[in-house]
Amino acid sequence: MPAIINSAPDCITHNEKYSADDIADFILQDNYKDCAGFMTFGPGSTYGDGGAGATGAYMTLTWIGIVVMVIVFVAWVWYENHRLTTFAETGHVPIHPIEDAPPSPSAQ
Amino acid sequence: MIDVFLAQVETLKDAASAESQTLDSAILGEQFYFWTVVVMWLIHAGFMTYEAGVARRKNVMATAMKNILTIASVTPTFYYFGWWIYNCNQPGLPIGPNSSDFTSAACQGGIPWSDAFGPNLTNNINLIFFLAFLLFSWTTASIMSGALLERVRLSAYLVLAALLGSVVWILDAAWGWSAGGWMTLRFGFHDSIASAVVHGVSGAFTLGVLFNLGPRIGKYTKEGLARVFRPNNLHITLLGLMLIFTGFYAFYGACLVIASTAFPGWGTIYLSPTTLGSISMVITFGFAGGFTGGYFASRGDPFWTVSGGLAGVIGVSAGADVYAPTLAYLISMATAALAVYAGNWIETKGRVDDVVGAVAVHGCSGFLGIIWVGVFAAGYPTGVNNVDSSIWGQLLGVATFLPLGFLTGWFASWLLKKMNLLRVPPEVEVAGLDTVEYVPDIYLPEVPVKPAQLVEPDGTVVDADPLILQELLELRANGGRPSGERVGR
Repeated sequence: MPAIINSAPDCITHNEKYSADDIADFILQDNYKDCAGFMTFGPGSTYGDGGAGATGAYMTLTWIGIVVMVIVFVAWVWYENHRLTTFAETGHVPIHPIEDAPPSPSAQ
Repeated sequence: MIDVFLAQVETLKDAASAESQTLDSAILGEQFYFWTVVVMWLIHAGFMTYEAGVARRKNVMATAMKNILTIASVTPTFYYFGWWIYNCNQPGLPIGPNSSDFTSAACQGGIPWSDAFGPNLTNNINLIFFLAFLLFSWTTASIMSGALLERVRLSAYLVLAALLGSVVWILDAAWGWSAGGWMTLRFGFHDSIASAVVHGVSGAFTLGVLFNLGPRIGKYTKEGLARVFRPNNLHITLLGLMLIFTGFYAFYGACLVIASTAFPGWGTIYLSPTTLGSISMVITFGFAGGFTGGYFASRGDPFWTVSGGLAGVIGVSAGADVYAPTLAYLISMATAALAVYAGNWIETKGRVDDVVGAVAVHGCSGFLGIIWVGVFAAGYPTGVNNVDSSIWGQLLGVATFLPLGFLTGWFASWLLKKMNLLRVPPEVEVAGLDTVEYVPDIYLPEVPVKPAQLVEPDGTVVDADPLILQELLELRANGGRPSGERVGR
């Protein structure tokens, strides 16, 4: 079957059906026997010294997460500052068009 | 001679050791699932709290009773036919306990008169596994309950809850959430912690019911714009969601298969390996990303921020056995934001009165969850045939579960509506369900009853009673159809 992003690490084999060993162990491990970690985009092996195993896609993914986290923190600070200063200056919280804000039980 | 004797003794010791080890493993597994069942009760305490907080004061007790009685409705129905559906329908069509299909052994334990349903010294797992699934069934039914608040009949809801909790979701679980399910065996369908299997199907079922149930009186203006009914206690609603989140960890844990004598000891429902730490990591990052996405999409609205956490977790559940933490964080953030916009669209454009946003949070996020696996986590061998997960297998899941949930919900509620058994009379709805079915007011006389208020589409706060009474008069003149209603008519 074609995939959009095949993120399974290379250590995973793709033997169809189960093996006799798998039946004995109850968990289907045969396709994972060459792996330690097998997370999406991961290197599929035990890391070497100092995380040396994390290269390529997984390193990229991790850095995307770090950047998004930083953006989130900046956005939190900016957004709250915007609301607080707007109230301090005008006496009203910023009003958004009804179409932008979802109806909410929190509405006052 | 001595050597032969000693060798025989060693053999006996090994056999005894293996047998006691197997029994230890069974006892450990039984204990694990027992404690997940206990902690999953928090999900239902949470649903009761959450919905009671959203409801208007005149409907608080009716809301709470509806959640409590969900347990009374789903438990016997799941025992008498739900477990049979799961264990004897995995190939697609029902099989018998003596079938040649490899799932027939499980089918034997699914029959209500099976001796695996009582104390059984050779089977420590069937009962406790059944109970874990029973708690999943309660959860599936409870997802629907919040959407129908304040106008559905208790009895109609209990019938629908039994249908959803003991037939519809467990049938899709037999097909796509089991080691022997045809969707997994043939197409590698992968939904490890039941994104669509529980949440997606429940959301679709709920949407079908809402089409027939109709909105609350006064919810929409004549022009079809949505008003907001103020919640009875928003703090209790937030607390309820936090209780649900606590119970969700046990839900996640109970979705795993444990085999403590086999390394690594943990497997998904598809018997592929994973770890308890991995899925716990994903659910936690799901909350973090979900709260973040919900907060920004709703501009800091408390209800949608916390609901975003739930949506985020549901969005990452399908791939929780394999997702990297960063991927879980990003996916949950996107899913929560999309759920907020979906909730807005459903309420304003679709004119579907979903009181708690269940269709958006559970339905949309649930189906998005399995699509994310197809997009970001393809290539993982799934099920006993080790068919790789793929976007096509996941889309098959959407194409199967969406109509299964929606059509059964729509049809069942349509039947109830035709018999005039779905909705309370408008006079009862205006007076409040508590007044008619329980006590006039749950609060002591020292807590004064403030005039009920609602928020008009332009943001102005008005007294609710005159407006609702006017709507009631118009309802009677219009032949019983609330104004502004569009969908389903």
